[in-house]
Amino acid sequence: MIIEPGNSNPPEDWPTLLKDNARSGGQKPYAARSPEKALWQFRAGSSLRSAPVLKEGKLYVTSVAGAVHAIDAVTGLAKWKFQAGGQVHSTPSLFADQMFFGCDDGKVYAVNRHDGTKTWEIQTGAEVWASPVIRNGITFFGSADTRVYAVEAATGKPRWVQELGGRIYSTIYATERQLYLGCGDGKVYCLDSSSGKILWSTETGNGIDSSPAVVDELVLIGSEDFFFYAISATTGQTRWTYETGLGIASSPAISSDSTFFGSKDGFLYALETRTGKLRWKTVVGEVVTAPPVVGDGVVYIQAGGTFALDTANGNVVWRAALGGAIQSVPVLAGESIYLASLNGEVYALR
Amino acid sequence: MDRRSFVKAGCIGSASLLMQGLDPMVRAETAPNAVPPIELRGLSGFKPSPLGMPGLYPGRVVEVREDKAIVRNRVSQPIVGRMLERAMKELTGEKSAREAWAKFIQPGDVVGIKINPSGAPACCSSPEIVREIISSVRLLGVPARNIIVYDRYSYEMDLGSYQALLPAGVRIVGIQDAFASGGGYDSNVYCDANFFGEWETRSYMASIVAHEVTKIINLPTMKDHSASGVTGALKNLAYGTFNNVARTHRAPYTFTNPLIGMMCTVEPLRSKSVLHIMDGMRQVWHGGPLTQVQDFIDQPGILMVATDPVAMDTIELEAIEKTRRQRGAPSVWQQDSKSITADSEEFHHDASKNLFYRQPGHIEAAGKLGLGLADLKQIEHRLLSSES
Repeated sequence: MIIEPGNSNPPEDWPTLLKDNARSGGQKPYAARSPEKALWQFRAGSSLRSAPVLKEGKLYVTSVAGAVHAIDAVTGLAKWKFQAGGQVHSTPSLFADQMFFGCDDGKVYAVNRHDGTKTWEIQTGAEVWASPVIRNGITFFGSADTRVYAVEAATGKPRWVQELGGRIYSTIYATERQLYLGCGDGKVYCLDSSSGKILWSTETGNGIDSSPAVVDELVLIGSEDFFFYAISATTGQTRWTYETGLGIASSPAISSDSTFFGSKDGFLYALETRTGKLRWKTVVGEVVTAPPVVGDGVVYIQAGGTFALDTANGNVVWRAALGGAIQSVPVLAGESIYLASLNGEVYALR
Repeated sequence: MDRRSFVKAGCIGSASLLMQGLDPMVRAETAPNAVPPIELRGLSGFKPSPLGMPGLYPGRVVEVREDKAIVRNRVSQPIVGRMLERAMKELTGEKSAREAWAKFIQPGDVVGIKINPSGAPACCSSPEIVREIISSVRLLGVPARNIIVYDRYSYEMDLGSYQALLPAGVRIVGIQDAFASGGGYDSNVYCDANFFGEWETRSYMASIVAHEVTKIINLPTMKDHSASGVTGALKNLAYGTFNNVARTHRAPYTFTNPLIGMMCTVEPLRSKSVLHIMDGMRQVWHGGPLTQVQDFIDQPGILMVATDPVAMDTIELEAIEKTRRQRGAPSVWQQDSKSITADSEEFHHDASKNLFYRQPGHIEAAGKLGLGLADLKQIEHRLLSSES
């Protein structure tokens, strides 16, 4: 692969996990072809285990060593660096002028995304690996201390705290009035976003570390009990389940009437969202835990390498490998793909 | 969840083989000479404990087998709970599980649970058994914050989803990250040997073992191992405690014998390792330690407990040899050059092939170091019948 200095226009934004709060992954037309060259490569200096986010031409990555890097998405040059108080596994979220992320020191940090200065921090009782989600000016996140927190995004002032029954590693899906998430106690929870009150909970057969998506009044989420669940967003009643060969840590991506997710059994699955009927499944690796990202007619998944599959039939359109260390969910921005790697490299590909 | 959104997929296969030193592409140019001198340096001033290996019950191995303990690859929480209770009472002769556990753990202990996530998610320490151990230890009055579930590699723990599946408050620690060496090891406690002319000849003990925990409950899985023959209680402790062990393999040769046993004698690892619980819910009879090929993974629903890791691993070796015979696979003792392959794909799909000349003799060697009994005639193998 040839590395060429980039001189294109700033790519479009990707400010949170899977692009937006709907976890859409974009769903805009992207070229269904393998990347041919690297625009730049950035060395973060330690392992990158969270996904990058992108806004106004800056790419933001967090590292296990606790460093947050802002990188010029066009040139790959560092803009600023912030050092958190512990390891960082949380994918950051961007909102207004701030960047939010959780840390193993139990804190969630808000950092000015333009200059890297800390705006506020809030302490929880254990590590925060989930990605903070911002809705209506409130930042919502779960902690391994078993609690869900709601704080004002601008100030960090707490609004409410709700205790659940297990560790929380699932990133919250926030609608206008409800929050949905999975929990280590094996339950899927629906909370009132204004008070934190538990509206309903639905039990699965084992702990949950997948993050939900919500579409057409269905909460879609995988469990470590090997099943994928579709649950009524209103009542918590299970509408359908689909059994895979091993646990499901991968979060789903939704596109029109299909739901895509990976399983630790190595398959990427496509189900009919309304019924749970299998449309196709394709082996993409020994273990799949990353969430897929859906483009126009193509679903992308990281499973040792980057795979692009035809959403209609699951056929592999292309696959690319940059070595065994690339596990990051890709950020798809225009014709560019951004990847973070376990060995601390960030790549911009085209 | 987020971290999982990115991390896991592929530290299995070739990348993981490389990190564990099992990459067949890293080959020895010539056959190595005899085992080089090995210098062991334990923690200065540490006073050995009578609970240390082989522990309170040398030669005794209690095995419980329940067909319904694992059904369609799912482990039953209540059944493994009952199995563990029965096994602990049988091992100790105590009437209650609480009294049995109290033989090993006191309320003031900081308890390390050394899991084996290598091979996750297909075959790793079952979270259900880890939960039962945590529950038992907590009943003795040990607070959750003083229980540490740990392994060397955080990325392998991620694959097992232990963070989400274990009770809140318990610490879950990966000593080192996938691709970064970092800290976490005590430079004053080590094994020093030059096996293949490597640049760094020392392997250091994890600080969590040397300094943080006061007792270790060892939770190995039941697997064959491409280098050491099987991986059981001894290997899980040794190569899961010391760093820089990949250097002991240079295909097709390995110095797992005698290094595994020698590492287990180093204090305070030896004294702190008071109980071994083998998770045989799944049994890998070929392709270990990392295989994800279900054709080579049985689900016998076995649980074994012992304080003697040598006796436990001897029973494990017998079990895996038996399965391999039944499946027409060669013995792990075989030293035929025709069985050696440099193709990891071939190894992972052909039970007649292997990457190394396996060294199951590491178990007997550990016995000679005083860690336990390797002679089947001396081992008291108590097999508990199924309740169902």
